[in-house]
Amino acid sequence: MAQLRIDGLTKRFGAVTALDAVDLDIPDGAFVAMLGPSGCGKTTLLRCLAGLERPTSGTIRLGEADITTLPPERRGLGMMFQSYALFPHMRIRENLRFPLKMRGRGDAAAQDAKIDEALRAIRMEGMGDRYPREISGGQQQRVALARAIIADPPLLLLDEPLSNLDAQLRKQMQIELIELHRRIGLTTILVTHDQEEALSLADLVVLMNAGRIEQIGAPRDIYRKPATAFAAAFLGGANLLDVVVENGLARAGDGTALGPLAAPDGPRRLVLRQEALALRDAPRPGEATLAARIVAVAFNGATSRVVVEAAGQRLELTVPAAAIEGRAAGATAQLCFILADAPLV
Amino acid sequence: MKRETALLLAPGVLVLTLGFVLPVLRVLTLAFDAKTGFGLDNFARFFADSFYPLVAWRTVRLSLVITLVTALFGAPLALVMARAPRWLRMALIVVVVLPLMTSVVVRTFGWLVILGRGGLLAQTLAYFDLAGRNFSLMHTETGVVLAMVQVLMPFVTLTVLSTLEKIDPRLEEAARVMGANFWTTLRHVVVPLAMPGLVAGSLLVFALSASSFVTPGLIGGVRLPVLGATIYQQVTGTLDWGFAAAQATLLLILALVVALPYAQGARRAGASR
Repeated sequence: MAQLRIDGLTKRFGAVTALDAVDLDIPDGAFVAMLGPSGCGKTTLLRCLAGLERPTSGTIRLGEADITTLPPERRGLGMMFQSYALFPHMRIRENLRFPLKMRGRGDAAAQDAKIDEALRAIRMEGMGDRYPREISGGQQQRVALARAIIADPPLLLLDEPLSNLDAQLRKQMQIELIELHRRIGLTTILVTHDQEEALSLADLVVLMNAGRIEQIGAPRDIYRKPATAFAAAFLGGANLLDVVVENGLARAGDGTALGPLAAPDGPRRLVLRQEALALRDAPRPGEATLAARIVAVAFNGATSRVVVEAAGQRLELTVPAAAIEGRAAGATAQLCFILADAPLV
Repeated sequence: MKRETALLLAPGVLVLTLGFVLPVLRVLTLAFDAKTGFGLDNFARFFADSFYPLVAWRTVRLSLVITLVTALFGAPLALVMARAPRWLRMALIVVVVLPLMTSVVVRTFGWLVILGRGGLLAQTLAYFDLAGRNFSLMHTETGVVLAMVQVLMPFVTLTVLSTLEKIDPRLEEAARVMGANFWTTLRHVVVPLAMPGLVAGSLLVFALSASSFVTPGLIGGVRLPVLGATIYQQVTGTLDWGFAAAQATLLLILALVVALPYAQGARRAGASR
């Protein structure tokens, strides 16, 4: 295992810049999630790491070695594809044997032992003689993961590994991935567009947008303290309220005084998480408040999603279903939040 | 069977019956038609001396060589085409298919000009002092193979291309990441998955070359007769339809003897996916 170091990595496809001078250090044993909308460059970055794309410029270092231009077969990495990429003409055993055979790991007997161990670990003993099309999607997914790590790679790359599974199986596999990572401590890089998956699996989230890294941080930090408007909106779908700071006092767009804010003068945007907003008849002590009109209410069971209009902007909030009872579209209420808890971007 | 299915099948069944089943039955009855009614006279004549068995052997041997060479040249070309950008692939398809658009006679005369004494090939080789002035590939099996491969290659190239296009490119990438280089990936992943196309294409080539007679006739000449040519000669020259039918029957049997085990093996290989 080794530290991964990416310096100024750039990849252009004709006139399109998929990766724009990306710098990233990944510590040994980390579980990193590359998160971002489609086309943000996260998959291109992963493919550059695997050697499937040649970067236009920049370097990739794994431990001491510069692997930027090394062909994929000489990097010794493990990778799992979104489509699993199991060989349809090989039985499960032979699929698992492939990386061992190609890397010349042990004789046939040693490989057999390793394959049996892997099949046991994914609870598929006795299914080694089946073909990939004869097992379920969840089993294919586990075989693909086992095949990616069977030759003990220093780095595991996962390209949207769970997106082909149904919601229930996905939750279960997320837990298994976390356990696997904790058990063998393998440096893992996961590419996903699913923010919930990134937040729950990784201990380091790399948020990407338009070929650049938007923010790097622990899941909690990146959620609580988004550095940019993009980070705030992409993670958790936060509201961005336009405010103007004047002599340390924040005012909403309609002129309502919200309270003191330690920030330089000028227009700012306030990040208001859906769960940080509440609708009441009157604010509690210490809360900032805005007059709001309810536009729509959507009942979700335990919670309700409410769209309101306040200070000339539409804002969304999620509240306990009981808290909104008696209020309907068209009614007015006070939109309350704690100003000091809301980050500025 | 549903009425719609029956209606949809009808035209095909009609054409097959009139154009294939009935003629084949007629050929079979002709072949076994002896002076004394049903008999093997026509077949006895075929095996009376070594001439016709040798013709049959040449036919099978040439067809196998042609099939092998088209596969060796056509399949790698298909791989290049599968990887090429769209415009280049279209251009290559046109180049590969173009020979099929030309009349077989015109195309073969083209080869006469190239292969004959004092032809393009002879002149070129002579220029580099690689062969004498009167070098010629006319009336040689090499010449026949060359001319046949040129026209039959699209059958292998296009069928292999269509199977290659269906292979998920991620499979090759996965193999590379797992430590296989380009050639081992080709051997363990691409070739096995492209096998059905290669088998179908080479079966077509084998059947077409076993039954061809214009190109072998013009380039091989009378010194290198093949079954197609001797059958043609019996039908149009000596008008001995019974003997022609017997030869046709033997050709059919030979083709089946080669093709069936091949198709069987391919089915077994195909069943494993």
